Amino acid sequence: MAIFAKNRSSRNAARNPRSGAVCAFAILAALAGVITATAQAPRSSAAKTATAKSKPWTAPRTPDGHPDLQGTWTNGTITPLERPDGSRVTLTKDEVDRLEKGAEDRAKRLDEPSDPNRPAPPKGGDGSTGAAGNVGGYNNFWLDPGDRVAVVNGEWRSSLIVDPADGKVPALTEEARQRNAARAAELRGRGQYDHPELRPLGERCIMSFGSNAGPPMLPNYFYNNNYQIVQTRDHVMILVEMVHDVRIIRMGGEGLPSHLRPWMGDSIGRWEGDTLVVETTNFHPLQRFRSASESLKVIERFTRVSADTILYKFTIDDPSTFTRPWSGEVPFTRIDDLIYEYACHEANYALSNILSGERAREREQLKKKQE
Amino acid sequence: MRNKLRDVLVALAGASVAAAAFYAATPTEGQAPASRIPRTPDGRPNLNGIWQALNTANYDIETHLARPALAMRPGPVIPVPAREVVALGAVGSVPAGVGVVVGGPVPYTPEGLAKKKENQDNWLTRDPEIKCYLPGVPRATYMPFPFQIFQSDKAFFIAHEYAGAVRNIYLKNPGPPQVDSWMGQSVGKWDGSTFVIETSGFNDQSWFDRAGNHHSEALKVTERYTMTEPDHIQYEATIDDPKVFTRPWKIAMPLYRHVNKDARLGQFKCVEFVEELMYGHLRKEPVK
Amino acid sequence: MRRRLWILIASCGLLCAATPVAGHHAFGAEFDPDAPIRLQGKVVKLEWVNPHAWIHIEVKKPDGTTEVWMVEGGTPNTLLRRGLTRESLTYGTELIVDGYQTKDHSLKRANGRDVTFADGRKIFMGSSGTGAPRDGRDPIEQKKGRGGF
Repeated sequence: MAIFAKNRSSRNAARNPRSGAVCAFAILAALAGVITATAQAPRSSAAKTATAKSKPWTAPRTPDGHPDLQGTWTNGTITPLERPDGSRVTLTKDEVDRLEKGAEDRAKRLDEPSDPNRPAPPKGGDGSTGAAGNVGGYNNFWLDPGDRVAVVNGEWRSSLIVDPADGKVPALTEEARQRNAARAAELRGRGQYDHPELRPLGERCIMSFGSNAGPPMLPNYFYNNNYQIVQTRDHVMILVEMVHDVRIIRMGGEGLPSHLRPWMGDSIGRWEGDTLVVETTNFHPLQRFRSASESLKVIERFTRVSADTILYKFTIDDPSTFTRPWSGEVPFTRIDDLIYEYACHEANYALSNILSGERAREREQLKKKQE
Repeated sequence: MRNKLRDVLVALAGASVAAAAFYAATPTEGQAPASRIPRTPDGRPNLNGIWQALNTANYDIETHLARPALAMRPGPVIPVPAREVVALGAVGSVPAGVGVVVGGPVPYTPEGLAKKKENQDNWLTRDPEIKCYLPGVPRATYMPFPFQIFQSDKAFFIAHEYAGAVRNIYLKNPGPPQVDSWMGQSVGKWDGSTFVIETSGFNDQSWFDRAGNHHSEALKVTERYTMTEPDHIQYEATIDDPKVFTRPWKIAMPLYRHVNKDARLGQFKCVEFVEELMYGHLRKEPVK
Repeated sequence: MRRRLWILIASCGLLCAATPVAGHHAFGAEFDPDAPIRLQGKVVKLEWVNPHAWIHIEVKKPDGTTEVWMVEGGTPNTLLRRGLTRESLTYGTELIVDGYQTKDHSLKRANGRDVTFADGRKIFMGSSGTGAPRDGRDPIEQKKGRGGF
């Protein structure tokens, strides 16, 4: 099985349909070979519904006449944010089957019994990369990353980003690079474990570790990518399971003055026909979605496209950070299940383990020096 | 001097009983001027909006006098504020308040009462509010922060400003709670013009106030929300926890609407506010 | 044999292609790759909490005394959605854990790199699902959950 290695080759690299090691799908597509150039019509139920012989589906409406977005939804998916090198915009049925079956097979394999006489893992780490951190993380049964490729407008998508055309986040501006460099310079000489404020927001239980609440509301590819939408005449409320965050979108009204910057920013919504359009500005200075600045504006569009799907489109507009705006499309699929409480801070052993661990290490090093 | 103090206490106790009796007698359904109350298309009272309790129940749900601080220590003449809070001066003092408990003191078992006293003696290390932990129910309702009710044709949801606590009130009973949680699992239904919420599945971690009033994981809370006028909800909550109390008991209070046109729920994500408190000792160097 | 080692690599694979996450879980920040451990003992406590569940197991030391270790798991919300509850792992059950200690070795805590019953079967395998995709994409196959609204 190939070890995943992110391919950071130039964005202008020509599409290579014969590439065997497509990043992001490398593990799941261990059996995948060539990625074919032709897209085929998927046999998704959404597509079936759209072409059904019965009358076309119309969105149910709330009492005030707008499309009803209410319910419990998930945006969990296999499809990554950025398009892997060598992929086309859409995947073929064969590719999707391989990916989804691959995910299923992998989960089954990881659930198989272990050797009861297994020893402790190797000293020096077990070689696991990424989030597993060379210590192997934990068992796969804790994860629920979504096991389907995202379907939008009847197409299986290779990335959530659809604009720019290469499906990747645009380059940072020079200004953004300098901002990042200045920030890094400030941190030089400080250890990343010196203070709780230097740890990531997710570890501190302030927000999710991914951009679950955002906006934009993106899956974290681990678990609990669940949302609940409640719609009243004057508000749309979105409960984000991670980390029990509530987005309160006011329908119409004045924005906050620019010096007031709450977490998740300030969201104002309006209807454009049957689409809910939400504009969010005034983000908290620490939220910094992908290096974004204080002038970040996120525009979201919610359209109920079937009984079980909301099509969610987002646009990132921050000229001081990205060389151009960029947009993505994420299906939110109905789930017949509850949002469970994600009280994070209340039992956050991990943060204190991390800080105390580093302090213990420093004491040991000091002791060694003194010997 | 002692008689005066006793008279004051008796008067306050009497006032609290009278207040309790008044609230118990406050008209519920059928007596409020029905035409003035905002209603949803299905004819129910429309509870959408931003609401807040206006009392000192979060300090102590029972009638209480003002006192210097929430944590005290022995002083040379009388007790004085604990070292940790003395710098707050009057900002850290406890205001007086009429209790919200209906009909007499909270009916603790002897063990329950002993634990309450322990909680009070160790308030600084034990009150979950200090660490910005989720407040539980019904404390969330009378925290000194507003909450917003989102009531639609399909859902009833309460978002609290304090700690971003949330309460999703299921309109379809999903069955017994499968997990203990800070805010419990709530099921709501209409009883005429009163919205009734039954909540269970609590853990035993939250308190009812800053006075150490507590519960076990067996707690069940039944709340009744009755809109008496467009800007007032009469709120009652029955506490049922046989592990801690000898019988169910009730609290009652009005809830007031934030009526200013630009009213909005603020954000009080206090987790980062308590990092120095909780993790300061794990810094590379402590803050001087 | 090697398969069980690749516990989170694919997640990293997905993750690395998605938002650059600075430290989800930060397993590497919390646990010490130079302090591997194998624990075998009975469950004495289960903290069914977020962000990580913790399984407390009582292990017998060579000198015959016992000590309690805490083993880090993941979010119980995932298990709840599969129909599992804290009652799915009864106290007294014997478990085998292999993993790495926290960097602070005095804490007697480790990551649940692989947590199994004494016979090697993974814990928390039960499920009320039909095996249908958990993102509920095919409504017809979707398992009957406890209901959205």
